[in-house]
Amino acid sequence: MKAYLSVFRMRLRMETQYRGAVLGGVACQAFFGLILIAVYRAMYAGKPQTMPLSHVTTYVWLQQAFFRMLLASDAELMDKVRTGGIAYDLCRPIHLYGFYYARIMAQKLMGSLLRALPMLIFAALLPQGWGISPPASVSALTASLAALLLGLCCVCAMENITMAFTMRTLDPRGFQAMLNLLMMILSGNILPLTLFPDSWQQAITLLPYAQMLDAPIRLYTGEYALPQAPGVLLLQGGWTALLVIVGMVLWKQNQHRLIIQGG
Amino acid sequence: MSFIHVQHLCKRFYVRKKRKNGSLLREKETVDALKDVSFEIEKGELIGYIGPNGAGKSTTVKILSGILTPDAGEVEVGGKVPWKNRKTHVQHIGVVFGQRMQLWWDVPVLDSYSLLKDIYRIPEAAYRQRLNELTEALNLGDLLRTPLRQMSLGQRMRAELCGSLLHQPEILFLDEPTIGLDAVSKLALRSFLKWENREHQTTILLTTHDMEDIAALCSRVMVLGRGQKLYDGSLQNLLHHYDRRRTVEIRYAGPDCMPDLPETVSMQKEGDGFRLTYEPEKLPTAELLSCLQQGGPIRELTVQPQNIDHLIADMYQEMGL
Repeated sequence: MKAYLSVFRMRLRMETQYRGAVLGGVACQAFFGLILIAVYRAMYAGKPQTMPLSHVTTYVWLQQAFFRMLLASDAELMDKVRTGGIAYDLCRPIHLYGFYYARIMAQKLMGSLLRALPMLIFAALLPQGWGISPPASVSALTASLAALLLGLCCVCAMENITMAFTMRTLDPRGFQAMLNLLMMILSGNILPLTLFPDSWQQAITLLPYAQMLDAPIRLYTGEYALPQAPGVLLLQGGWTALLVIVGMVLWKQNQHRLIIQGG
Repeated sequence: MSFIHVQHLCKRFYVRKKRKNGSLLREKETVDALKDVSFEIEKGELIGYIGPNGAGKSTTVKILSGILTPDAGEVEVGGKVPWKNRKTHVQHIGVVFGQRMQLWWDVPVLDSYSLLKDIYRIPEAAYRQRLNELTEALNLGDLLRTPLRQMSLGQRMRAELCGSLLHQPEILFLDEPTIGLDAVSKLALRSFLKWENREHQTTILLTTHDMEDIAALCSRVMVLGRGQKLYDGSLQNLLHHYDRRRTVEIRYAGPDCMPDLPETVSMQKEGDGFRLTYEPEKLPTAELLSCLQQGGPIRELTVQPQNIDHLIADMYQEMGL
């Protein structure tokens, strides 16, 4: 267990070393947030939707704040898999899946926390109709934090599956581009899932992508009422468990058909 | 049974080739990385494992360290099958892949080491003692707090080696550990390996292209070529078999002096002297000397044994590699 905690800590610390990247990321995400909100404001000015505008702006800012949790993979880890540096990890007395899971989680957690705090402060300072609104209630906030944690577990399980596939295809760029596109659309990063047609939403909210950030945000804004929270958390937990199992099976298979290239 | 026991080991890879013009399918070529390789290694041995590029050396190391699963054959290391009991097996081995990195690039090496400590579950006291021992032997003192990215290649190699030995493995697999090192680092590394082997009876399998490494360290060598074991025995015996030629450099006192030599001797003009290669078995040295003396008054003469790299090149050539 100590090894997994240890690699988690190590990766956390490594993430804090790139402060310049954090600043750049925050600036970029703030810009994107403002543009998106300007677009939705124009849309609402033309034809108001059933969902209040303040929910949409809150949705956008929370998505921007935790952007890094969804769309950033550990480049060093991918390189290791691609070039064969993974050979070293294979000759360690550890469970590889767990070891990488801990590493990915540290990167996503620290990467998004470092960006989320300044982003949320920035969004809170914006004028009414542009910024982020407070949570629906204290219990809604608690439920959404729990959901965020489960969402993180779900994302990490997904990322580990991507890694397992990288070991087979050796070049992650092609399907990563595709997966990222899916991720951006289906997780609500481009267009809040709450703005999709209702009939679509029934299907989309059941997919694993909706469990990562959409579910916590809806709990935060009160879109999902408190009595719904246990069901939401259960669905998240279910997807996470399933993705973890799939990932473990893939890694196990990989280890049997493994080739380390380049001498 | 011996400490490391390998019987009829086979491993095959598939290499995809770029398709030929006019053909729709890519060709798949099979490469037999290992064809029926067998050997035994006793505890505490320091063995050199040599062979030309692509001979199957790294593949053997990867199988022995439990990373790859062979297609056929038996392997037991310390009574365990590496790829079946992977986790217990790797607890007792250390590996250095000379061209890869195990330490973290952006953090001080000490942090990487403490991660390794947790991975191998080394008790704190044993870790402290071992780290002290290794930093002294590898002269790493000032480097522990330096991030890996700021080290030179030689420093990095020493740091990597220390990382592989922290958990005091019973067996150490070294895959080209002296790649790119300067003379001083190489010598330091060699004396360290000797010390580690003697002090802790660590069994070491050393893969390298640097014959000086082998000559300095290993009493036994195995030669691998095209996936097959071609030789297993002492380095002296191996070299003796191929060490037939001697090189003579000679300078005469006068400018027009020129020896008259039989055809078995090859001669080149070099500067104001000559360089000759001859085989003492075909032409006794005494005869050569009298031939040389007839060429004129000799000012300077040196006889040199053949360079070890040339010997190995001759050997590979003779073995058809």
